[in-house]
Amino acid sequence: MSKPRSELHLILTGVARDPLGLMGLIIVGTIVFCALFASWITPHDPIGMNIQDRLQGPSLTYLLGTDQLGRDTFSRVIAGGQVALKVALPAVFGAMTIGLTLGMIAGYGPKWLDNLLMLFFDTIRSFPTVMFALAVVALVGPSLQTVVLVVMATSIPTYGRVARTQTLTLRNSEFILAERSMGASMARILGVHMLPNIVGVLAVLAAMDIPTVIALEAGLSFLGLGVKPPTPSWGALLKDGYSLIRQTPWLVVGGGLPIILATLGFTFLGESLRDVVDPKLRKQR
Amino acid sequence: MLHYAVRRFALAALIVFVAVTAMFLMIRAVPGDPVQIMLGPRATPELQARLTAELALDQPIWNQLAIFYGNLLQGDLGVDVFSGRPVTSIVLQQLPYTLELIVASILWSASLGIALGAYAAAHPNTLIDRITAAVSVAFVAAPAFVVALLSLLVFAVHLRWFPAIGVGDGVLDRLNHLVLPAFAIGLSWVGYVARLVRASMLEVMGENHIRTARAFGLSERRIVMIYALRIAILPVVTVIGVGIGFLLSSAVFAEIVFARPGLGKLVIDSITTRNYPIVMGAVLVSTTLFVVSTALADLINAWLDPRARSTV
Amino acid sequence: MSDSLLEIDRLSVDYETARGDLKALRDITFDVKKGEIVGIVGESGCGKSTLISSILRLTAPNTRFREGEVRFKGQDLLTLPERKMRDLRGADISIVFQDPMQTHNPVLSVGRQMVDIQHRSSASRADKRRRAAQMLGAVGIPDPEARLDQFPHEFSGGMRQRIAIAMALISEPSLLIADEPTTALDATLEVQVIERLRELQQEYNCAILFISHHLGVIAELCDRVVVMYAGAVVESGEVREIFHNPKHPYTRRLIDCDPGHIKERARVLPTIPGEVPDLANLPQGCIFQDRCDQAMPRCAGDVPPLTTLKVGHQAACWLNQMEDPV
Repeated sequence: MSKPRSELHLILTGVARDPLGLMGLIIVGTIVFCALFASWITPHDPIGMNIQDRLQGPSLTYLLGTDQLGRDTFSRVIAGGQVALKVALPAVFGAMTIGLTLGMIAGYGPKWLDNLLMLFFDTIRSFPTVMFALAVVALVGPSLQTVVLVVMATSIPTYGRVARTQTLTLRNSEFILAERSMGASMARILGVHMLPNIVGVLAVLAAMDIPTVIALEAGLSFLGLGVKPPTPSWGALLKDGYSLIRQTPWLVVGGGLPIILATLGFTFLGESLRDVVDPKLRKQR
Repeated sequence: MLHYAVRRFALAALIVFVAVTAMFLMIRAVPGDPVQIMLGPRATPELQARLTAELALDQPIWNQLAIFYGNLLQGDLGVDVFSGRPVTSIVLQQLPYTLELIVASILWSASLGIALGAYAAAHPNTLIDRITAAVSVAFVAAPAFVVALLSLLVFAVHLRWFPAIGVGDGVLDRLNHLVLPAFAIGLSWVGYVARLVRASMLEVMGENHIRTARAFGLSERRIVMIYALRIAILPVVTVIGVGIGFLLSSAVFAEIVFARPGLGKLVIDSITTRNYPIVMGAVLVSTTLFVVSTALADLINAWLDPRARSTV
Repeated sequence: MSDSLLEIDRLSVDYETARGDLKALRDITFDVKKGEIVGIVGESGCGKSTLISSILRLTAPNTRFREGEVRFKGQDLLTLPERKMRDLRGADISIVFQDPMQTHNPVLSVGRQMVDIQHRSSASRADKRRRAAQMLGAVGIPDPEARLDQFPHEFSGGMRQRIAIAMALISEPSLLIADEPTTALDATLEVQVIERLRELQQEYNCAILFISHHLGVIAELCDRVVVMYAGAVVESGEVREIFHNPKHPYTRRLIDCDPGHIKERARVLPTIPGEVPDLANLPQGCIFQDRCDQAMPRCAGDVPPLTTLKVGHQAACWLNQMEDPV
């Protein structure tokens, strides 16, 4: 990865050439843009109440209508994107880093350590994700940090397993054997030779994992166990929408569509990235 | 095969053991009085006293763990903070509703997914293949609880085709109540299974033994339906085993949205009322269910695949 | 020509690729007579596989038959309706593929597969099973009845290849195509399989088209041999004649390279220098000129035609036309 700019450029060109990849790039770009500049884009204060205008349908003033407290749904959708990324990005990044480290240790270290780490991964995976999240939330109480923590913990095994497989494959490849025979240190082999080869694969995985994380955050918030009100989150919108489903469809639509769009966008982008970066990955997962 | 089964279930037991121990230690790791944490603030003093005695808090932690397992092996998961009823019977009472939902979801989504995937693979790059691919991605992208909400909105509230809440009485009514929840949590599986089967079918169709079958003039239909599908279906079995875990998660949402009884609803209600023994009991049962189903899937796989049967 | 079973007549086959048309086979002409064993030799990439798949018409979708005919019992297979073609496969024309480890379906028992390939017969299931066991016995698999219920992975490579031969012969075809059936096997097994093949050929009196890159095997088994290079026939004739009096530089090099011919055991394995020409972009003149140590100016000009040197010996090289001008 000595010349990241040109490589990044190559990858982006490859993704943009694929119609679905381009679509993913546009959707993800829009979401990120909206999240970054949320305070400029939102026409109303996402948590500002206006009881006279409660439960309105879409209009020019309120593009997606208002909720039971007269808050502008469109503004809450935009601000919700910010929350979604605030949870998803650190969680995915944290899980990837820890998973990568543990996976490389498992793949390169002694057999007993490998077995131990694999048992650890299997154990985490043995909890149904939402059930695990509920247990943790029940113990430590709902908050944004809890959501990040839970999401991170549940996706560590995915990264760990892939990193381990990659390490095992590379470990026996000719160029690593050559390095080892020339007396390269373990740190050098792992850091200089293996890491760059594994990070690419994990990055693709991360792109495809983000929708899962966004959905989990929204799900927990929907259950009232995630981000606390009045913070605008897509899940919280759906929670309000569910209780008012017989009065107005707009909250459910307003909360549901961005989740579906974000999932689609990241999935398209991830799959396209995968095809560009490493076509062989197609089979794994 | 028997040897393999024993080993596979030993591993499953080990994983459940580690998971339950981890949960036990996690509860202890939370700062504060374990009795307070496990029972929540709503417990009566009598119950607190009883649990304090039961947990043997004055003893070292490993003894506590031993006592915990002692109770567990007798099927004792503690008692409901309010009613004092055993948690085991409360959880087991809700379990069938969740199982019913999961089985229904798997049945419809896997059969449709396999059919779509096999068809797409047999006719690659046709219009139907492309439509299947696009729809698959869209389906996979839709999180279960969003689909649940949207289908509740469209099919129950607006069109009134299906009931919005409850489980219903009698066979037909129960099935009628299952339609929307099963649709909601199965939908993403249709796409997932279809993509999996398609990819795996295309791979198998390129293998040499398919060429052999063609060279002996077997009909294309028999080649696709028997010679290729029998192999292409193997990864699906594994995925469905793992999928039980995802479906258990999705079921939580479906049960909330459609106000159905079940493990998920039980857990959420218990968290709201801070009835922690029930939360832990339900999480433990669902974890066990998941681990056992994964092991079962591996066994079915070994049974379907003669190669796995003899090598492991 | 009435005793010809299979006639390949000026067959030219292209693959349509992104780089342009790949001229995989050009002007292939040879025949196989009833009950005769014909060998085809050539390096990998010489078009052997394309030739086989063209005969069976099990070609990749991007294949185009540009010219020529493949006549089987006088009928052009290339214009036959797919349904009729399917009736021939595994019935009157059978094939044994190269890699015995991957040639059978891994999740169906050997018996099941052997019963399935008798789908044209109206015999009962039990009869088909009996027939399958009998064929397994004929190729030398001990205790065939019991082994029918086993799966391919429970057999060794040599046994699997014998099962493949049994399957190919179950319908008593008039033509058996053997695509490097012994390449994946070690030398002892190779001899066994060849012996068995010869015995069965005499018993069933079928013709065999035997593809190999191993000249020793060809010499031992075949009546006639066709030498292919880069999608064209460069020499063909009686086995004895070709081996003792090769008339194409490529054939000579092949014979020199054959491990069986090297007296001093493999100190330096001779290889033919140079590369096979790009089939999408053929050079003018003879296709072998770049690797030929006897190339002359004329070779770069025109493609040497396959000419008959004497009865039962043809070669495509300008050298022959200088030595004995007609």
